[in-house]
Amino acid sequence: MTTLMEIRHVTKRYGGGRLSGEGMTALSDLSMTIDADRPSITAVVGESGSGKTTLARILLGLTPPTEGEVLYRGQDLTSLSGEQRRDFRRDVQAVFQDPYEVYNPFYRVDHVLNTPVNRFKLAANRAEGRELIAGSLRAVGLRPEEILGRFPHQLSGGQRQRIMVARAVLMRPRLIVADEPVSMVDASLRATILGSLRKLTDEMGISIIYITHDLATAYQVSDNILVMYRACVAEAGAVEQVVKQPQHPYTQLLISSIPKVSTTRDWLADEGDETIRAIPGHDGCRFVERCPVAMARCAGSIPPLYRTEAHRATACFQFDASPELAPAEMGQVLEGAVALPAPVKGVNQP
Amino acid sequence: MSPHSILRVHRLRVAFDHPLGTVQAVDDVSFTLLANERLGLAGESGSGKSTLALAILRMIKPPGHIQGGEVHLDGTELSSLDQEAIRRVRLAGIALVPQGSMNSLNPVMRIQAQIADALADHGVVLSKAELAARVADLLRRVGLRAEVADLYPHELSGGMKQRACIAIAICLSPKVIIADEPTSALDVVVQRQVMETLARVQRDLGAAVILVGHDMGLMAQFVDRLGIMYAGRLVEIAPIGEIITRPRHPYTQMLISSLPSLEARGTMHGIPGLAPLLRDLPPGCAFHPRCPKADARCRTEKPAVRDLAPGQQVACHHA
Repeated sequence: MTTLMEIRHVTKRYGGGRLSGEGMTALSDLSMTIDADRPSITAVVGESGSGKTTLARILLGLTPPTEGEVLYRGQDLTSLSGEQRRDFRRDVQAVFQDPYEVYNPFYRVDHVLNTPVNRFKLAANRAEGRELIAGSLRAVGLRPEEILGRFPHQLSGGQRQRIMVARAVLMRPRLIVADEPVSMVDASLRATILGSLRKLTDEMGISIIYITHDLATAYQVSDNILVMYRACVAEAGAVEQVVKQPQHPYTQLLISSIPKVSTTRDWLADEGDETIRAIPGHDGCRFVERCPVAMARCAGSIPPLYRTEAHRATACFQFDASPELAPAEMGQVLEGAVALPAPVKGVNQP
Repeated sequence: MSPHSILRVHRLRVAFDHPLGTVQAVDDVSFTLLANERLGLAGESGSGKSTLALAILRMIKPPGHIQGGEVHLDGTELSSLDQEAIRRVRLAGIALVPQGSMNSLNPVMRIQAQIADALADHGVVLSKAELAARVADLLRRVGLRAEVADLYPHELSGGMKQRACIAIAICLSPKVIIADEPTSALDVVVQRQVMETLARVQRDLGAAVILVGHDMGLMAQFVDRLGIMYAGRLVEIAPIGEIITRPRHPYTQMLISSLPSLEARGTMHGIPGLAPLLRDLPPGCAFHPRCPKADARCRTEKPAVRDLAPGQQVACHHA
């Protein structure tokens, strides 16, 4: 198994110091591995402040960790040679949220596609370069003749976002880190763009980290999921299980809070449903103030991730009978596309 | 006895003057809102739903203008009112919770002062004690502690700010509350609390609500009836159960089936093509380039809005 990237006990803190006081922990003791051989889509889901965007920036080498290490092919990012760094920048591509801000309005959109071709010498000559670009546009469902030669303002948000995915594809990366790639795009187009991403994984073997707050699209397009809450991983595992049988109280709250398109109207509850308690200055689980099943020990220490199933880990003391997850095992929990065993009739079911 | 209609929009048209041509942002929209009803207006960007909300309140600014149509609030035709009279209708008759309103709270005024501002603007003069009591009551109705009155917006969370905006919107007990994407910046857990607040407030006031947005799950769980807007037209309106289970307009059908569900993982498919630019609409039905049912008639003849049942309409040659 070739490990493409590894994060070991990474913590990221912002601020703090003598003048600014406390500071803020954006990521707390996070470990994970991304396997090069088994392409999959892993969703990182959480609300704002959960640390998911910080995780993206750490993976892309855009910000250094405060503690811990970030390794690319076994080598710490801070000690990559020039050539290794170039390889890293090709292997790990970013697709960001805003399809409006990333373009220089003075250049035609060809510019964002030509630049990497030239910079990384991806083509032997102009004709080959043109074909490479056309191919990457087609890979995301765009027609080159409708896109090339245009300025950004002449294209829709959806087209601009897909061009950024095409640009990421050009480099034949091993990993794409996509931070809210469809949140600014209309609902009817989201499925199309996410479908393009799924094709990249299935047909071109590119792994994707899909960062979002939208659990429904995460469920549809991903194989695995990491649920983050206030800088910590609350739950991780195969997406089907985590969404259908959530173990962590936060995951349960998240899923039950999503309004479903259904004729069953059970979403607007009666008042006073929400658990709130004030526990100032505690050192325990980040969710304890809102947790409906909090125990005394929850305010005293932070629960580790317990490996509750082959493809599931949950950071909750309710599961302390399960073994603690060693950091190196996170890669196994988040393995490639997981085929669920077919239910055996008559054994587990009536 | 038929239910009482509180708001009646009849053939409303809004245009924007653009150097490249006139843009029809709202095209001949008609619907009726019943007292106590929750109506949703769904559509994607550029569909005209926010413009429609502003047009109802006569808040369209140049280069936009209302070209025609009528808006009746509880029997009073709003376009017949002069500037001062329509100003009084805003907030007292129809209240708007605009998009991003939680970011529009005055950052240097405490919440109590912002509510007092709204009241004073409508000639409500209260003593210090009366004002404090009124504000405390409003805050309680939206589930905020009385102490919030003395806080500045930056001291409140997103959800609290949005609830403060709802408190301002209801301070004169309006008959209609129009909420334009009230929860789009909030996380799902907070969103639910804010929508519960809105539902409760609506029940207490006996007001009607128009919820403008694009989150179909939110619509499914909150509204009684849903209108679908496309390229400035109201292409379908029906009870929410009907929209979900038996949508009539092809756009609605494709929209519903393109929604990612949490029930089963399947192939994701969107609606092919793109929404048309409003200044460059195709002839005939604006949806025909993307419609699997389009025929020659659709390409030349704009479908009229047809009544299917009371409160249920569709604009399609094939529905």
